[in-house]
Amino acid sequence: MAWLALTVFVIAFFGFILAPILVVVVISFTSAGYAAFPVPGWSLRWFWRIWDYAPFLDAMRTSVLVAVLATVLSCLLAVPAALWLARTRKGWANAVSTFLLSPLSMPMIVIGFSSLFFMTAVGIGISFPALVITHTVVCLPYVLRTVTAVYRSLPPAFEEAAAILGAGPLRTFREVTLPLIRPGIAAGALFSFLTSFDNLPVSFFFGSAQTNTLPVVMLSYIENQFDPSIAALSTLQLGLALICLLVADRVYGIRKMTVAA
Amino acid sequence: MSPTRAPHAPARRPLPGWLLVLPAVLFLCAFFVLPLIGNAARSFEGADGGFTLLRYLVLLGDRFNLGVIAETVALSSVVTVICAVIGYPVAYYLVRHAGRFGGVIIFLLIAPLLTSIIMRTYGWQVLFARRGLVNNFLVQDLGLLDRPLQLLNTPGIAIVALVHVLVPYMVLSIATVLQGIDQRLEEGAQMLGASPWRTFREVTLPLSADGIGTGAILVFMIANGSFVTLVLLGGGFQTLPLLIYQQFTTTRDFGMASAMSVVLLVIALACLYLQLRLVRRQGV
Repeated sequence: MAWLALTVFVIAFFGFILAPILVVVVISFTSAGYAAFPVPGWSLRWFWRIWDYAPFLDAMRTSVLVAVLATVLSCLLAVPAALWLARTRKGWANAVSTFLLSPLSMPMIVIGFSSLFFMTAVGIGISFPALVITHTVVCLPYVLRTVTAVYRSLPPAFEEAAAILGAGPLRTFREVTLPLIRPGIAAGALFSFLTSFDNLPVSFFFGSAQTNTLPVVMLSYIENQFDPSIAALSTLQLGLALICLLVADRVYGIRKMTVAA
Repeated sequence: MSPTRAPHAPARRPLPGWLLVLPAVLFLCAFFVLPLIGNAARSFEGADGGFTLLRYLVLLGDRFNLGVIAETVALSSVVTVICAVIGYPVAYYLVRHAGRFGGVIIFLLIAPLLTSIIMRTYGWQVLFARRGLVNNFLVQDLGLLDRPLQLLNTPGIAIVALVHVLVPYMVLSIATVLQGIDQRLEEGAQMLGASPWRTFREVTLPLSADGIGTGAILVFMIANGSFVTLVLLGGGFQTLPLLIYQQFTTTRDFGMASAMSVVLLVIALACLYLQLRLVRRQGV
């Protein structure tokens, strides 16, 4: 009896979780000119509308570029740090780790707002590099967390063996460590990419012709119009995220990627 | 000088390992800490360039502004409590009953995190519109009402939307701790005659308190800083992030927005401190 009630509750819960998402996916295929449910007929017209509306395409290009650059930068900074933090026995390493993860705990609106004034003060201004740098602040912790978790779960014996067999530190890293931590890097990079791509609270403050990201353009569009092209864009974005997740799962396995994460 | 090193040999000491962490630390100092310090400095800067506490006096001494701070904390607290209440049974089911469906459940939990914030709010707008799915269901299918309810722009829908985004964090935090509970403790309680409900109340629930705590801090922290949901779904809330957003877009009083950011930041730091203490306790 209790078990049945619990099962019904869990099913209702996932109905609640999926409802707003499925509604948008369905509406993106509507033939109507307005967003309403149920839909009167099916068509792909709103997907074509994305191609016709230049600001969407420009913003998509900007978003992909920012997300890729911020993720690469995050990996370059976070992977070496994770390698040291996972193995060191220094007492202050914990404090360093907390500091490097702390952007996750700060309200993004505060990070975005403060960064805007800082970038202007140091002369970088509201520019593409400023956007990439600020996104990196937000993305770096994700890479650090997954790489540290994966590296910590590996025994140091592999690298010791390589060193005993005469490999230098660089060669050990390239041929032993890197292949072993690759799932962690992949998971962190995936989180980082998706976080950056969907970021609104930070990007919002860097609105200009070359720095308008997709969520910013979508926000200003939705404030004026309520046609289903936003639904089509959202569905496209969800599809992209699902493909990334499935590919990463096929290559590395979800479980391996999220060890203790 | 170490005895092994000959006078002429080049000094080839291995570089210290902590150099690896240096670039990341310097990067965050420059582009994360410095901007926040600059922001705090701006909140103390008077019109003549001198030091002033005026903004904080206004922020903490004014009825309206104190109300905003209280409302921010109250909204986040309500969202956190709802997440805990509806998230706990799901976490319990995931750990104890899901079996081979565990993977599917975790995937469904992560699914909302893969969607954009715009998509989710758009979905709620369609569902709760005047002629939306929820109203049609209540009026036409159930016949409970004779005319549609005004659901959009009410506080309820903003809370629903926030719970929707944040409840997965709560479920995953609780599930992690539930997973680690030794089930023999529960079996022992039942063998000694405790009913299933009493076993849950007096054994399982207290043992999983840390999971609820971790999840609660996480949810509270994110809810505290959220503003896009409130901007798009309305509901008449006046919270700190919303006011910062308004100061930036319409009022353009950047000094005041900085002071509000500092208050928000202090709340976030308090949460971070609590989180660290909880994690440390779990570690022991």
